[in-house]
Amino acid sequence: MKFYFRLAWRNLWRHKRRTIIVAVAMALGLGLMMFYDGLIAGFDQAIYGNAIKVLGGNIQIHAEGYNTELGQNPLLPLPDDQAVVLAALSEPLVESATRRIITGGLLTSPEGAFGVNIIGIEPEKELGVNLAAQHIATGRYLSQDDGDMIFIGQGLAEAMDVGVGDRITMVGRSTHDQMRQRTMTVAGMYDLGMPEYEKGTVYVSLGEAQSLFDLAGQSTEVAVVLKQLGTEPKVISALEPLLPGYEIDTWRNNYPELLAAITTKNGVMNIFGVIILLIAGIGILNLLLMAVYERTREIGLLGAMGLKPRQISILFILEGTLMGLVGVAAGIAFGLFINGLIRLVGLDFSAMTSATEYMALISGRIYPTWGLEKLLGRALTVAIIAALAALIPASEAARREPAEALHHV
Amino acid sequence: MIQLFRMAFRDLGRNRRRTFFSILALAMGLALLILMASFINGEMSSAMDTTIKLQSGHLQLRQQNYDETKASLKWENLIEDPAQVTRQIATLEPVIAASARLFASGIVASRDQSTGVQIVGIEPDSITNNPYREGLVSGEFLTAGDRDGILIGRPLSEKMGLQVGDQINLTANTSNGDVSDQLFTIRGIYSTETRVFDSAIVFLPLEKAQAMTGTENHASTIFVLLKDKDQTDAVVNALQTSRYKILTWTKMNEVIIQTENLSNAYMSLFYLIVLGVTATVIINTLIMAVFERTREIGIFSAIGMRSRRIMAMFLAESSLLAIGGILLGLVLGALAVAYLERNGFYIGNMAVGGGGFLIRDTVYAKFSLEGTINVTIMAFIVTMLAGLYPAALAARMEPVEALRAEK
Repeated sequence: MKFYFRLAWRNLWRHKRRTIIVAVAMALGLGLMMFYDGLIAGFDQAIYGNAIKVLGGNIQIHAEGYNTELGQNPLLPLPDDQAVVLAALSEPLVESATRRIITGGLLTSPEGAFGVNIIGIEPEKELGVNLAAQHIATGRYLSQDDGDMIFIGQGLAEAMDVGVGDRITMVGRSTHDQMRQRTMTVAGMYDLGMPEYEKGTVYVSLGEAQSLFDLAGQSTEVAVVLKQLGTEPKVISALEPLLPGYEIDTWRNNYPELLAAITTKNGVMNIFGVIILLIAGIGILNLLLMAVYERTREIGLLGAMGLKPRQISILFILEGTLMGLVGVAAGIAFGLFINGLIRLVGLDFSAMTSATEYMALISGRIYPTWGLEKLLGRALTVAIIAALAALIPASEAARREPAEALHHV
Repeated sequence: MIQLFRMAFRDLGRNRRRTFFSILALAMGLALLILMASFINGEMSSAMDTTIKLQSGHLQLRQQNYDETKASLKWENLIEDPAQVTRQIATLEPVIAASARLFASGIVASRDQSTGVQIVGIEPDSITNNPYREGLVSGEFLTAGDRDGILIGRPLSEKMGLQVGDQINLTANTSNGDVSDQLFTIRGIYSTETRVFDSAIVFLPLEKAQAMTGTENHASTIFVLLKDKDQTDAVVNALQTSRYKILTWTKMNEVIIQTENLSNAYMSLFYLIVLGVTATVIINTLIMAVFERTREIGIFSAIGMRSRRIMAMFLAESSLLAIGGILLGLVLGALAVAYLERNGFYIGNMAVGGGGFLIRDTVYAKFSLEGTINVTIMAFIVTMLAGLYPAALAARMEPVEALRAEK
């Protein structure tokens, strides 16, 4: 087999120019796909980082049935939230675990009304991990005994035209199907650089939320912050046996549309990528047809020396595959070059932040990764297409009668 | 000239299979690009149509200081006595209909669930509401005098498990910055097949919405539909008012146009790469042709053919390849576009839209003549450029050496 490789490799470089041109075609196709993979992964990372910030942790633990509830953010209390917090904190990888109440509500002022997520937090316990608390624009953060105080985003404050100390009306619904309306005083404002997100999220103290929504001593979520990104699966699998009957999610489950969007776009891109590679494959096909024709006498000689037709065709398929792999190498270089270039400047998507809920999590520029996430699969696709393109020429070469081929001038 | 092309045609016929595959490569590339151009065209023009029909209309009249991001209900931000303004606008010739609408923010609650919605008060009899009336999936449309009826979208009804006749609690902001809430009965459930719209908008009769929010005889906007959207400017001029702010559909939907420009910019990069790949196939095919015919080229120049003419011969070959590839590519592209025009592509689960523009759950391709012409011209130019190098190679050959070439 090594012999065939050597032979095929040498044959490949008999016409350098032709081989290089085909490799360029493959490289363009692969480079484009790497660019795309890098961009998607860059989106993912940008959203990932911000999603963790705004969701208040890498992992969220809810009561059983929370995700199947029809409405968003149902007021479904955890059966024993203290036990959940203790279980989570017993994991060495966990930085903090805090109780929260999350529900939808409405803020109104004479200027207008805004639908928001109202998040009840334990202010002191979250101080070290809550990014809103660490990015105070004006005023102050919440404290545990704050009643009727609210901590809002700068974006919302501007839209509602309110400042620190001003009063706004907050409306939410308690567990007993009653509308709860309360006049709140703005304690302070945070600025995370995500105006769309800031418009939709306000914080109150957990105690205030408990009394407002009839959840005395209870909470609907435990937000878990990890010491290190990427350890989520490990922590989840460690927590699952400790907390049977609870729903343990990462940020991905909280943005199902994002997952759907990425899956659809990846599917479309895979089809396009394969079509582009097929076009490049036609280049290989044409080239090898020519090679078979050029080497008619050689093929006759190989046949006369006792090489079986099957072995001759292997030689050509190897040549085609190697051509594809040379393209892969060039493509990786090309892809790294493009992604490296764009990593320097980033792509501006800030105009699109209002398009969807998850796009609001993008704070401005997207920096692609190097695009190596799916490289193995992509390279395999190239190799397979290259090998397929070599099939027709290979079978043609194998069909040559040695005697006739030798006579060919 | 004709002779040149005849020779080129025959030369291409000497290796039919190779010629066919080269043409196929070009055709596949072109078809892919036509499909993409048509898809973006379909997505964007449908986004524009849908947004005009459901949300922006062709024109809207608002009070000068009305800020749509706030949905304020203060009287000084609203249009007073909208019926009179509406009557005035309706007398203009290009206007199909004008109708007052009131916007408020609210929460819909039923049993243990609640969700935020936008409340739109409409004049039920106006034909501007036809998209919602025609989209009724169950129940009935609202009537003007209805005091406790509400119309909700299908995604909302599914999310909250509601049916026609069920009661829901609706909370809304009011003109003094307070809130009021009341029980409503679901009269009907509509679907415009635009998920972001249907799950966020609930309708009340205008008078009821006014009563609930304390904005008697006021409206947030006058929604105007024209016979032809090109008449917008004429109507704007005819209205000449300093009391109200006039918003046109182009102004209100700027974000759609921006998005379209952005996608087109990203697509140009894609075009270049696809055409670059097809160009390499063409270059290789022609290089092979040049080397196969080295002796021939030697003979031509030996009998006095100028190198410019030899070059022209190979360029004629690449132009024939280009034409063949383009014709086949147009056929393949048209078939693919026709398929997606009929069958569409479901994207509803992606929940796109919301930031001022609406995309329907299924996107249909729409044949884009401009896009097709652009990519066809680009494909032709790229192919001709690809032919330059092999042609120059042939033209540069030394007659004596070429004649001596083996074979």
